[in-house]
Amino acid sequence: MRNNKLKTAAAIFLLGLLAVPLYFTSTFVLHMFTLVFFYIALTAAWNIPAFGGKFSLGHAAFFGLGGYTAAILYVKLGISPFIGVVAGTFVAMLGGVILSFPLVRLKGPFFTLASIAFAEVLRMVAVDWRSLTNGSVGINIPFKPSWLNLTFTSGAPFYYMALGLALLVIGLAWWIRSSSLGYHLRAAAADEDAARALGINTAKAHFMGLMWSSGLTGMIAVFYVFYNYVLEPGTAFSMDLFSLQPAMNGIIGGMGTVWGPVIGAIIMTPLGEFLRFYLGTIQQGLNFVVYGLMLIAVVNFVPGGIVSLIEPWFKKKKSGDSSAADN
Amino acid sequence: MDDLLVVKDLTKNFGGLAAVSEVSFEVRRGEILGLIGPNGAGKTTLFNLISGLLASDRGSIKLEGEDLTKKPPYKRSAMGVGRTFQVVRPFDMTVLENVMVPTFAHYKTSKEAKEKAFEILKMVRMDKLADKMPANLTLAQRKRIEVARALATKPKLLLLDEVLAGLNPTEVAENLPLIRQVRDSGVTILFIEHLMDAMMAISERVLVMDQGVLIACGTPDEVTSDRCVITAYLGEEAPGC
Amino acid sequence: MELIVQVCVSGLLLGGIYALISIGLNLIFGVVRIINFAHGEMVMVAMYLTFWLNYFFGMDPYVSTLIVLPVMFLFGVIIQRIIVQPIQNSSANMKIFATVALSLILQNVALIVCKGNFRTVQVSYGMGTMEWGGIFISIPRLVAFFAALLSISLLYYFLKNTYTGKALRAIVEDHTIARLMGVKVQKLYLLAFGIGCAFSALGGVLLMPFSSVYPTVGIPFTLIAFIVVVLGGLGSMGGTFLAGLFIGVVEAVGGTYVSPALKEAIYFGIFIIAILIRPQGIFGKGKGSEEVGLK
Ligand SMILES: Nc1ncnc2c1ncn2[C@@H]1O[C@H](COP(=O)(O)OP(=O)(O)O)[C@@H](O)[C@H]1O
Ligand SMILES: [Mg+2]
Repeated sequence: MRNNKLKTAAAIFLLGLLAVPLYFTSTFVLHMFTLVFFYIALTAAWNIPAFGGKFSLGHAAFFGLGGYTAAILYVKLGISPFIGVVAGTFVAMLGGVILSFPLVRLKGPFFTLASIAFAEVLRMVAVDWRSLTNGSVGINIPFKPSWLNLTFTSGAPFYYMALGLALLVIGLAWWIRSSSLGYHLRAAAADEDAARALGINTAKAHFMGLMWSSGLTGMIAVFYVFYNYVLEPGTAFSMDLFSLQPAMNGIIGGMGTVWGPVIGAIIMTPLGEFLRFYLGTIQQGLNFVVYGLMLIAVVNFVPGGIVSLIEPWFKKKKSGDSSAADN
Repeated sequence: MDDLLVVKDLTKNFGGLAAVSEVSFEVRRGEILGLIGPNGAGKTTLFNLISGLLASDRGSIKLEGEDLTKKPPYKRSAMGVGRTFQVVRPFDMTVLENVMVPTFAHYKTSKEAKEKAFEILKMVRMDKLADKMPANLTLAQRKRIEVARALATKPKLLLLDEVLAGLNPTEVAENLPLIRQVRDSGVTILFIEHLMDAMMAISERVLVMDQGVLIACGTPDEVTSDRCVITAYLGEEAPGC
Repeated sequence: MELIVQVCVSGLLLGGIYALISIGLNLIFGVVRIINFAHGEMVMVAMYLTFWLNYFFGMDPYVSTLIVLPVMFLFGVIIQRIIVQPIQNSSANMKIFATVALSLILQNVALIVCKGNFRTVQVSYGMGTMEWGGIFISIPRLVAFFAALLSISLLYYFLKNTYTGKALRAIVEDHTIARLMGVKVQKLYLLAFGIGCAFSALGGVLLMPFSSVYPTVGIPFTLIAFIVVVLGGLGSMGGTFLAGLFIGVVEAVGGTYVSPALKEAIYFGIFIIAILIRPQGIFGKGKGSEEVGLK
């Protein structure tokens, strides 16, 4: 009974989200929602290796690879972004293959460092390789509205696409976590040796997790880049926007869980925008000081993230359901 | 003689310490083989070598004639070597999920894995605790999770590392038949135990290790009357040992 | 030919500073077993302190070590006490989060207080060079190199010959010993963090006469220090020193012959190759490498 109620509530909520662009014509509201969806998707994708306890601070690498691939194909060769999405996903996964060497060889902290270095190196390459990337000037997506060009005159199409991406990645994350890969990753996170002794190829599990994560990040990036019309090394490979922000959302929401990234992105994205654009105009950098303080608070007081505060309550409800069903 | 596992000249040094040196023995298919020895004798290290968590310095390990010496742990597990850990190492997830983890090697969907894991929990009489977190269980129960997880890999050879240690007499009496039951289901067992009585009651043959060396091998009676074994346990020097 | 020698010498001298910073990290990591993601920010803070002392009081950077080093030692002690100590028994990831948070806070407080501008110290000898066999050697780099050599030797002597130093080394060698030390170990942690911080600070001060400071200047130093420690081997002073020089030379050669923009890409490449072919570190024995995952 309760379970059904929950499902109905979720369905109504989704319908409500679908209706938002019909009622809110304010570009600001629409933009905020779209941004939240993008960050839910990015954070949920970032979170997949975290099922296996691996913490990346270099996902901007995959973002940049995906975004640049599609943008270069489109602007330089006139290839539709819909092919660009496939290519971008693929190139981001190639980046994932490279990062998988430190991923499987190094324990947590050193993998994290390698991931930072990886993204930084790609950023430098993007600045340096002017013939391909236009260097630090960046690439502008020309404004030629058409479905095929993934360019629109209103914000609504991107609102729906971002919502779709968010739902897709949450769904995939949920599916991965409840499949053998998810169990293997969680076992590896808890005790790598015990997992290996139980027949799990932990290196392969970590690798697969990173493949999903890098590919999805690259794919999301293509949409994000076309939403923004412009990309340059400083933003596409931005430590702040696409490495730290998803990680921050994930940790504060609850790393390695399905719903943590969602909660984190919903709370942190508007907060981040607020700090950046309202306080940010008064004082640049304040948002990261606030993030830093929040992070220290989480580490000291709620190591499981916000989701760990909500989960017990939710579980109680659920077990209440099953006993109700027994009756 | 049908040997399941053949270990030859197996050696492992930690710096200057010979934790396992030149150990050779075989495990016969279908037997319960005990492994005893004082603390620090190298028993757990031997298990780590057989399961592949440690690389050996020298020697060979063969399962059904196939060489495992250079294979990674997960391959050895797939070939039929299962193990438990002396210090229990449950994953941070429910009891059922713990057992599901290795079950995925044989069943692809999580529904099948769940059913199979539940069957195994029934077998070790842990089904009532399936949804509990291991941290909230007693040591005896957590040791059963270890056994259940190892069984879920469908081992041919099961290495049990002190699964009775730390349990009270009632719990020992409850867990002991379990080992026989597992053997009767077709799994060969090599097990480390400190409790002499339990060991003698259940094993057909016994290996004795001391300071990394295999010092005796035989039926429980033969071994208990062996002079070298007695000195190893009593700590006295005896000529010729 | 002339150029390559010139480039190598200049890289070698810079490498001395990298060694200094990395040894600070090595000590903190070896003793406290925390991966300090804010390590480069210690360098940054020290550089700003040097800059201000010069800006407000006209103090020479080398003289300012007398103030900067004790202040930064204290800074390290405080960080260990209020940030690291409370989470000592948390998981490795929690420790990363905490030090990442610290690095974010320090970077952005620097941005708020000092703005994003590049700041430099003007000193008469900043551009000074001396010629030796046809090779020009920058004087502040030469000073930096010898100061690094001297302070590393002093640390080495301290660790080898004093009771406290031996205790620190014992913890680095075998961390289970730390548990046996009880209350005293917390004091040793504070000390190690303080010394580690002071070493990176010294690196920062020595850099000031010939380079500039800005809020994110520390990020590459964190990366460099970790690469050096991994290459040199945990707990190995000599290895770290050599690896520091090595990275300095690689940076200079790469920056000259490949592309200045890609010099960091080059040592990251070396880092990856090194862990693939020689996981125990190139120079050192790699004590504690198990904790890095470099088994
Ligand atoms: N990873 C290791 N590194 C160094 N020494 C070890 C390691 N594992 C075990 N040892 C040492 O090897 C010896 C044998 O240990 P172990 O195999 O655990 O003995 P047992 O299980 O028979 O009590 C002990 O002296 C122990 O300290
Ligand atoms: Mg043992």
